[in-house]
Amino acid sequence: MNRSKALSALLVAVCISLGGYAQTLKGKVTGTSGEALPYATVIVVQTSNGTFTDDDGNFVLELEPGIFDVRASFVGYENLTKPITIADGETKTLNFELKEDGVFLDDVVVVGYGVQRKREVTGAIEKIDSKTVTSMPTPSFESTLQGQAAGVQVSQGSGAAGAGSLIRVRGIASVSAGGDPLYVVDGIPITQDYFLRGNSGALNNNPLASINPNDIESVEILKDAAATGIYGSRGANGVILITTKRGSQKGTKFEFSTRHGIATPASLPNMLNTEQYLQLRQEAWENDGGTGYVWLPGYTAVGSDAASREAAFLEAMNTDTDWVDETVGTGFKQMYNFGVRNGGKKHGLYAGITYDDNQSYLIGNSYERISGRANFDYTFNRWLKLMFSGSVSRGINNKVDVAWSGGLGSAMSTALPYYGIRYEEDVLDDDGNVIHEAGDFITQWTNPVAAQELKKWRTTEDRSINNLSLMLTPVEDLIIKVGGGFDFMHIREDIFNPAALSVTSDLGTADRFANYVLNWNYSATVNYLWDYGEYHKFNFLLGTEFQRSDAYGYSTTYFDVTGPVWEVDSLREDAANVNRTENNPSQWSFLSYFGRVNYTLKDKYVFQGTARVDGSSRFGRNNRYGFFPSISAGWIVSEENFMKGIERINFLKIRSSYGITGNAAIPDYARFGTFSQDNNGILYNGQPIIFPLQLANPNLRWETSATWDAGIELGLLDDRITMELGVYRKMSRDVLLNVNVSPSTGFTNYWDNVAQILNRGVEFSIKTRNVVGKFNWTTDLNISRNYNELVDIGDYTPDAVSGGTNDSRVIVGQPVGSFYLVEFSHVDPDNGLPVYIDLEGNETYDYDNAIRKYVGDGLPDVIGGVTNSFQWKNWDLSALMTFSIGAKIFDSSSKRQLGVVTDWNMRTEIYDRWRQPGDLSTFPRLTLDETTYGLPSGFPWWNTDLFVFDASYVRVRNLTLGYNFQNVKVKNLDFNQFRVAFNVTNLFTLTNFPGLDPEVVRDFENAQDRNLSPNVTYLTPPQERAYNIQINISF
Amino acid sequence: MKKIFLFIMVSTAFWGCDKLLEFEPGDVVIDETALETPEDAQRLLNSNYDVLGNLYDGRVQNIAELLSDNLAFPDNNNDFIAVFNRETNFFTTGTGSVYTDLYRAVYRGNALIQNFDLIEGLTEDEQTRMEAEVRFIRALCHWQAVKLWAQPYGWTANNTHLGVPIRREASQEPLLRSTVGEVYDFILEDLQYARSNLPEQNDVYADRNSATALLANVYFLMGDYANAASLASEVIESGQYTLDEDIDRYEVETTNTETIFGIVGSLIDNRSENFRDNYRSDNNPDPNLTFSADVAELLSLNASDARNEWVTAGGDLNLVNKFNGKEFFNIPILYLTTMKLMRAEALAHSGGNLSTAIEDINDIRDRAFGEGLNDLDPSSTTEEVIAAARAEYRKETLCEGVWIDQLKRMGVAGENITVRGAPYDCPGMAIQFPNGETTSEGFILNEEGGCL
Repeated sequence: MNRSKALSALLVAVCISLGGYAQTLKGKVTGTSGEALPYATVIVVQTSNGTFTDDDGNFVLELEPGIFDVRASFVGYENLTKPITIADGETKTLNFELKEDGVFLDDVVVVGYGVQRKREVTGAIEKIDSKTVTSMPTPSFESTLQGQAAGVQVSQGSGAAGAGSLIRVRGIASVSAGGDPLYVVDGIPITQDYFLRGNSGALNNNPLASINPNDIESVEILKDAAATGIYGSRGANGVILITTKRGSQKGTKFEFSTRHGIATPASLPNMLNTEQYLQLRQEAWENDGGTGYVWLPGYTAVGSDAASREAAFLEAMNTDTDWVDETVGTGFKQMYNFGVRNGGKKHGLYAGITYDDNQSYLIGNSYERISGRANFDYTFNRWLKLMFSGSVSRGINNKVDVAWSGGLGSAMSTALPYYGIRYEEDVLDDDGNVIHEAGDFITQWTNPVAAQELKKWRTTEDRSINNLSLMLTPVEDLIIKVGGGFDFMHIREDIFNPAALSVTSDLGTADRFANYVLNWNYSATVNYLWDYGEYHKFNFLLGTEFQRSDAYGYSTTYFDVTGPVWEVDSLREDAANVNRTENNPSQWSFLSYFGRVNYTLKDKYVFQGTARVDGSSRFGRNNRYGFFPSISAGWIVSEENFMKGIERINFLKIRSSYGITGNAAIPDYARFGTFSQDNNGILYNGQPIIFPLQLANPNLRWETSATWDAGIELGLLDDRITMELGVYRKMSRDVLLNVNVSPSTGFTNYWDNVAQILNRGVEFSIKTRNVVGKFNWTTDLNISRNYNELVDIGDYTPDAVSGGTNDSRVIVGQPVGSFYLVEFSHVDPDNGLPVYIDLEGNETYDYDNAIRKYVGDGLPDVIGGVTNSFQWKNWDLSALMTFSIGAKIFDSSSKRQLGVVTDWNMRTEIYDRWRQPGDLSTFPRLTLDETTYGLPSGFPWWNTDLFVFDASYVRVRNLTLGYNFQNVKVKNLDFNQFRVAFNVTNLFTLTNFPGLDPEVVRDFENAQDRNLSPNVTYLTPPQERAYNIQINISF
Repeated sequence: MKKIFLFIMVSTAFWGCDKLLEFEPGDVVIDETALETPEDAQRLLNSNYDVLGNLYDGRVQNIAELLSDNLAFPDNNNDFIAVFNRETNFFTTGTGSVYTDLYRAVYRGNALIQNFDLIEGLTEDEQTRMEAEVRFIRALCHWQAVKLWAQPYGWTANNTHLGVPIRREASQEPLLRSTVGEVYDFILEDLQYARSNLPEQNDVYADRNSATALLANVYFLMGDYANAASLASEVIESGQYTLDEDIDRYEVETTNTETIFGIVGSLIDNRSENFRDNYRSDNNPDPNLTFSADVAELLSLNASDARNEWVTAGGDLNLVNKFNGKEFFNIPILYLTTMKLMRAEALAHSGGNLSTAIEDINDIRDRAFGEGLNDLDPSSTTEEVIAAARAEYRKETLCEGVWIDQLKRMGVAGENITVRGAPYDCPGMAIQFPNGETTSEGFILNEEGGCL
């Protein structure tokens, strides 16, 4: 406590005890509707003397005689100051009726460990409200952020149910360490591991899928160091704060909403039918010098004799399966949400329950979520308040194979059109025994329908995120907050393969893969508000936080069983037919100390300093603690006298910040050198062995990003037009790479702090109320440009780090995750052979991996979104268009669909191939032999930029037409909202991309792959187009 | 004063809480405590043999054999096709993983030598024995690597052409290629040390004769025939090894009597699977690897040659029967037959005792054809001895990946050697290094694609 303040308090006490005051000011603080406001603050401005109201809103103040200004304030209401003249011995009454702060939610933003008024914020923060988050049905809430915030790139993964999005805040600043922003729900950094189940079924686990969008009050995206600095070591890639709904202060309010709709694919691949495929395959065969009929996968082999080839060809012509049609359908969606807000003098409650069943257009695929939440606040007295947030949810993802794993992916690849689905008649062996009955699935070749029908597969996630905190206000303006959080995640993936799909089991095999993550968080903060004189306002925050996460898991396999674990009760972990493996636990912890000082001078000069010290278990003693400071300043120019005459500008702020943030998202034990234990089960000559597993790097340390940011915020014509322009430069150093080391070391990988990455960019957003009146039209536009460059990777070459199998690499001078492929020039019209360009720029027929080069990257130059909202009488219409310009996509599966003819089906674009001398074509002569294209023998990976395409697009992401019924009253129920809306997502897309969908996030092998290969597609399912009707009621 | 107090407070808080930040991975041992006892050291050494077991289970041999003229075009395996067509590139995973494993053994050995001082209770004798075993394996791995990933010894006058990296120490630093001459010097140094310090007997592990036999082989490929003959004689005359009556050296559960050094396999560890799974023709009509027509003809030249059993010729494929009927077996790497045939040729080249050479050849022929039924004439010329030694060597070592070494040796010696229509030293005959070697600046790759 400040010394002068303590002294004055003492003096006040002495004066009171001496009976120095005979003058009394009494009064009551109420809201506009007359409700008493307990514990409101009443302060004499000139003396800083003050008090709180009691439970009924009454206060009493003792004063010296004189003229004073008395200010009453209460959270959620506008401050009110009234003058009072009080004479010697006089007792006066002064009541305050405070107006509810109408712009409270819009005007206040959640920052780390507190809230700030938007006008005084010195950092770059984007706020998205609950309306936006629930405005459209998406596989997971975070994809609703697309197009809403400048500098925030949100790409929806695919149309598969539960699929996550890839979010990049101001570009990508990491290579091997996780590049996702930090997600914080009600103050708790939550478990956000996308790879708990690896890449099972070509769909990464989405840790955000179980979050109920209906619970969300607001989402704040912290972008620059001034905003993220308070999260120190974990702020380098941005922070996303999710705040859930809390109780209101005005009685009881119920909310109900329901949504029903259908899902269809936003686009579909054009695969060849049997006749087309056989014709082209035959052409390839003949081009290669083959005679007679071509051999066919599934029937014959390259060495088969002419007669069997002919018989197979003729038989194949009898079947024509449209595998895309067999794997894609219409998904149905339904959602029911019920919530209640209740508030009284002392308590506030929000409780909600939601059921959401979200089928995708992939047959058999859905994400079903049931979730409940209770947020409760209780004010014991003026110095103690309790706050609790709790949620439980269960997400059931009925899975199907996608992409490389099967399903629609198979329909686009190895499910050839001449393959049948079921036997049409009984199949007998030589002895006349029936080995396949008519109607049985054919499983001798790729049959995605059989896999989908026979395989039982689901992932069940139980999640509970809870937070309990106590807020103490021992003296005025001093707030101590102590809290604890617990985030529990339990995921079970169950797979049952019946005998028809299982080679190891007579009946079937049931697998269960279970993962538990227990994430504890404890924090304590002290917040002190101090106004020094009329002009100086300070806000001090000191805090400490400890977080620990323990992940466990096991896998079990049950042999000879009849169903999946969730169906067959007899499957117990101690059964005889079970094989169980425990995963090694993975644990991490952070211990942090932080502070923040905000200083506002004359309500127009704003300064902020933050500092955080983080210690992490992921680093050794040499580099365990990191220091992350930030400073920032803002100047509210519109408060200056020289601006007073400029009436058109009602708000103008200039701000700037600089700070250091970090990233520690690496595997928990990367720093350790380890050996196997001697009971590892491996013997040589009957003797045990031990061996080194991983190289130590005791010097492993944080990635650090030094970010400079500047911005201008402008409000024109009484906020009819508001705009914000920001520029930034983020230099990330010591960037962590899991480098492919020289194999002659005896190892393949090693974690090291090696690289430097630069992100710089400009962001602009503008909101205009174009027409105001009976007809309203508002436009929201945001647009941003980010420049990303890998500045340095030490002595390493581009191949030192690669994005999985995706041919994305680290190339100095180019963006992170550039495509590193052989440059394709053209098809030689004379002979139909592909011509490549070597490193010297010469044309060559030889495909050589040594001539790979940078041929493009998946990072967009410009991204943004524009929302136009119209309102006329009871009708409203809103259209969100999102756009991405300049990114390229490497359509990696095209090398098989449009390359050497193999056991993959092909796309109809292949018709544009060379057939005879003189032909000018996109694709070379068809062949079954990779060496025709100059590829090395045994190397069918035709990795050329022939399949790198411009993926710029403009997409009508969301179109909503709503009707608001007014003054609806049913019996005693007075509805304050009754709205019916029709909504379409991904209605149409303008793009030159010839593949499936220009918005793509493929499945990834690990965080590094996720950073490097966002715009690589490999049989990735397209986005969904959904049509929905939604009803929202509140009363 | 206040600042000091604050500093002490903060420091105390940090150190006091530091244990909250200590987690160690489960189910593994942190390297600092992994090597503490002589048993730990022995187990780490055992793991070196384990790596050899995973390499010489057919993986190394198949790659080397595919480079020679002993096998037909492989079926259904992209890596094999790349090697056979002499078009390996740095993405060829099968060869890359063999290269990595060769150096994995080297790292483990180096780590052991570097950490001897951490191990309490290790006697000086034990330490010397372990170091000798490590250096034997280190030499074997470097030799295998330089044979496959570089042009042969003698290809340039002073062997200044590039070989492979030399790893004397356990380190994560990238290393560039040393010259072939330097690599051979390193191998000789290690083998001399091993020969001087390995025990006379050492169960199934490397002993003095193992080092001597390997050294003889190395000298032989270097064209130092006098040393090769003399060292081979030392092993042969040690009397520890006898030729088995049976031509099958791949014993199950016992070590063949002529094995000087080899791999021990069991059903559990599958240490022979890459022979079994790629060659066996009794359970697979279409195995990945089959004999070339050339080999089929060689084996069928004399109907009474017992080695005829190894091939079923006549169909589209010349099926290999050498590994039929076995799920697992022990694999000899250094053994008496090759010692004898090598000595025979070395003696002939170096003007040594031809009658010893002829006896060596006839020992092998007696086993293959029957006692005295197809003996080399005692009056054979030097050239006839060399030709006979080579023919027997090729037949005896089929599938073992060593014939290509001999072809390269002959090529370097000036003989006109072409392998399946291409010069013995065309670029693709040196396998391409794995991609990981190119992740550091300065590493020079082999030339590609010049054999067609």
